[in-house]
Amino acid sequence: MTVTWRLGLFAISLAVLVPALWHVAMALPAFGAPTEMYGAAVNAIIPAARHITNMVAAVNFDVRGFDTLGEECILVAAVTGTCVLLRGARGEDLTAEAGHLPDRPHVERSDAVVLVCRIGATVLLLFGVYMALHGTATPGGGFQGGVIAASSLMLIYLGEGYSPWRHVMHSWFLGALEGGGAFIFVAAAAIPLMLGYAVLQNILPYGQPKDLFAGGLMVVANFAVGLSVAGSFGQLMLEFMEETRSPEDDPIPDEED
Amino acid sequence: MSASALLPVPVLLPLGVATFLLVFAHSLPSRLSTVVAILTATIGGLICAFLAHAALDGPVLHWFGGWTPASSGRPGVVLGISFLADPASAAVAAFAALLFAAALLFTWSYFDEALSHFEILMLLFLAGITGFCLTHDLFNLFVWFELMSVAAFSLTAYPLGKSSLEGAFNFTITNAFGSYMMLAGVGLIYARTGTLDFTQMGRVVAAAGSDPVLSGGFCLIAAALLTKAAIVPFHMWLADAHAVAPSPVSVIFSGIMVSVALFALAKLVAQVFIRDAEVMALVRILLLWLGAATALVGGAMAFAQRHLKRLLAFSTIAHLGIMLIGIAAVTPTGFGGFVLYLFGHGLIKATLFMIAGIVLAVCASGDEIGLYGKGRSIWPAGVVMAIAGLLLGGLPVGLLHNATESLASRSPTTAVVITLATALTGAAVLRAGARIFFGCSGAPGVEITAPTARQHEKNNRGLALMLTPCVALLAVAVIPGWLVMPFLGTAGARLIDPFGAGGPPMPMPPFSVVTFAPIAMTLVLVLFALLRERPTRPLARKLFRLELLPFRGMQFLHSGLVGDYVAWMLIGVAALAGFLTR
Amino acid sequence: MSVFPWLVAAWLLGIGLYGIITSRHYVHLIGCLSVLQSGTYVLLLGIGYKWGAGPPIFYDHPAGTPAVDPIVQALVLTDIVVGAAVTALLLVIALQVHKRRGSLDPQELRPLRPDN
Repeated sequence: MTVTWRLGLFAISLAVLVPALWHVAMALPAFGAPTEMYGAAVNAIIPAARHITNMVAAVNFDVRGFDTLGEECILVAAVTGTCVLLRGARGEDLTAEAGHLPDRPHVERSDAVVLVCRIGATVLLLFGVYMALHGTATPGGGFQGGVIAASSLMLIYLGEGYSPWRHVMHSWFLGALEGGGAFIFVAAAAIPLMLGYAVLQNILPYGQPKDLFAGGLMVVANFAVGLSVAGSFGQLMLEFMEETRSPEDDPIPDEED
Repeated sequence: MSASALLPVPVLLPLGVATFLLVFAHSLPSRLSTVVAILTATIGGLICAFLAHAALDGPVLHWFGGWTPASSGRPGVVLGISFLADPASAAVAAFAALLFAAALLFTWSYFDEALSHFEILMLLFLAGITGFCLTHDLFNLFVWFELMSVAAFSLTAYPLGKSSLEGAFNFTITNAFGSYMMLAGVGLIYARTGTLDFTQMGRVVAAAGSDPVLSGGFCLIAAALLTKAAIVPFHMWLADAHAVAPSPVSVIFSGIMVSVALFALAKLVAQVFIRDAEVMALVRILLLWLGAATALVGGAMAFAQRHLKRLLAFSTIAHLGIMLIGIAAVTPTGFGGFVLYLFGHGLIKATLFMIAGIVLAVCASGDEIGLYGKGRSIWPAGVVMAIAGLLLGGLPVGLLHNATESLASRSPTTAVVITLATALTGAAVLRAGARIFFGCSGAPGVEITAPTARQHEKNNRGLALMLTPCVALLAVAVIPGWLVMPFLGTAGARLIDPFGAGGPPMPMPPFSVVTFAPIAMTLVLVLFALLRERPTRPLARKLFRLELLPFRGMQFLHSGLVGDYVAWMLIGVAALAGFLTR
Repeated sequence: MSVFPWLVAAWLLGIGLYGIITSRHYVHLIGCLSVLQSGTYVLLLGIGYKWGAGPPIFYDHPAGTPAVDPIVQALVLTDIVVGAAVTALLLVIALQVHKRRGSLDPQELRPLRPDN
């Protein structure tokens, strides 16, 4: 089917869907109307029940923590799939040669770039860890902090170059980080079950509000997610960077047609 | 451990084992991870079977984080997520575990590299399907839906061949579009009902009645689930994905992944929307027609294929259409028949995909015309394929046959549609088997114009090892239906109302023409395909060209281009919305 | 104009779908899928909003000040993670397709047709 025919089908669907959408939009509660009972109940109950101040983190790691466990495993599945799909064709041997396109000039890295990247990477890593650990008190949490910490790895590459970066980054370490973080989360969910409570029930002491370790089991879950996300995104960066190696190094496996 | 404490284990166990394997992925021998994965699937399956038995007296509930409805202190506000095991859900989860164990057994020494990533992805896939069956919360359903989908995307592209990658791309784009629609639907339903728990939602919907927001939300969620379940016009991704995925993965796709989406649709309709008159009208009328259309389109396309796995994929689509006809009734017997059909079809289709894997491994091609007679050296596989094909075509033995009779006995029209679809798919499988293994065939018919490619899967396992899971699954498929009717009666009733009383045993469908019509028609079609001669006379040639025309049209529509697929999916959403606003 | 956010969400969905249907490059298609996703975010966050309410973080304000719905925010967080994962997977598939076929045009790339 050509694109014109498809656009014809699209137009037919729109002719039916646009009035339906308008109908639904008119019937939705007005924008800005008072919140649903579910959210209002969470806002009212959680600060006293769990001694924390970030309601979104409470929903993510306590009230609906099981969803977050599933979501963490989705990330693990996607990154595992990515690694399999990229490594499968390329093989796993370590190489120190950066990729080089034949007609691009090779520019030396300037000292300013190296300095800024070194300072920036350190600051960013610390900031990521800070974000992750304070998830129960201020906006942030494991996911956000983990991604920031992973991006500091990119700054290291920018500042140091491919060879030293590749010697420090080991795929097995990042994989262990990723799997280990997710496993700690699953264990945090399973241990209350083995002790006779419900899965992911908050059995640790809650601490003081606004404190770093407030929230009980949420702190453990937050930490686990931070580890795992940092490992996952580091793994992603590593695999994509490996793809920039010289094309003649990539063997294509025997396959059909 | 009480049943309630055991309920989350079939999900937590595969998740824990998969993440643990990932930590040590670089140093673990591949055979060890396969053994661990098979063990995990078996243990999960046994727990689910125990839960299915325990749930016959009343549903098994587990509230995560200890957030029971009482803990919010406010009446009518449910804070936590729950798992609810009614007999049907636990039985379907146990069945999924059984198929995974069989598929993992089939993958013994299948892959070259030593890393255990395949088993990790399969275990995550299993956890997603199990959670999808057992959950009682709408957003939790979405999370497990996504886990199933992402694991499936990664596994489809695994062989890294050209076709696998494009098939995986089409699969990912269409299903990702489906999941974003589902998320929008969840948002709309949350906006109207203020809760995400099925029981609570059901109460709010019963009080509110019909509402455009609820209808819109259902429309979007149904579109997503119908995409996963490959119902016309959302079905086009399935043929591409199943044909190119590795055979053990295709076993899981056709055996359980697509049917469990219909199972979730049935649960949603019965437990949440049963009191919403508009939505129920949509289900009873439009979904019935879509199911019938899917059954016929799938059957016709299956008969017109030459690539073995693509043929089986279209036959899955036909059977999914038949299952949707069963759901559209929304009665305990209709749901009981649907669950039985899910089991029967899943077992037989899994067996057939394993046979296809054997053919691909030994003969290095999946094309039934190119492989004419080349399967004689592996004739035991041919015997298994013949038995499976006869069962698929309506042989009056076993679970699938009882389910077919039960679904067809609703009305004469459904009987005709189901008979036709069953016969077409059974005949297609038998024809392919006859050509490949026994070298008997007539001139090729419309299938000569179907797409195909050479494919190859690794072959270093003995035939006996590869055939063992096939034979085991077929043995389960020929269990007489009357053994499970009492279970199905309660399962069907409890699927509609988990907290109500159980139901009487499902009645065995009576002997009627429907008992023998499908198998008779299957044999007629097979003989027609195997005995036809090349058209030499002008009239015969004109007839042949006329026969090719509708099939050419349908092949053209199933083009392999992702833009087409998305356009047709939108037409489907418009059909659902148009029905609701008529 | 209290229906405006819903219309914005619908527009984003529509324009994303138009992009997917007419796309001539895999990476452009993946970008359109992200636009689709953003439509669902706008819808969800719009459902949770309340006039005159602040974020559901009670660090600077005492617990009990009016705050918007944290449930939809948690749902959107989950959705963002899932979206990032699926985008990464799609980009990897596109990369491998480019290596084997040399083209990234969805109009030309079809599975199981060996002459393509």
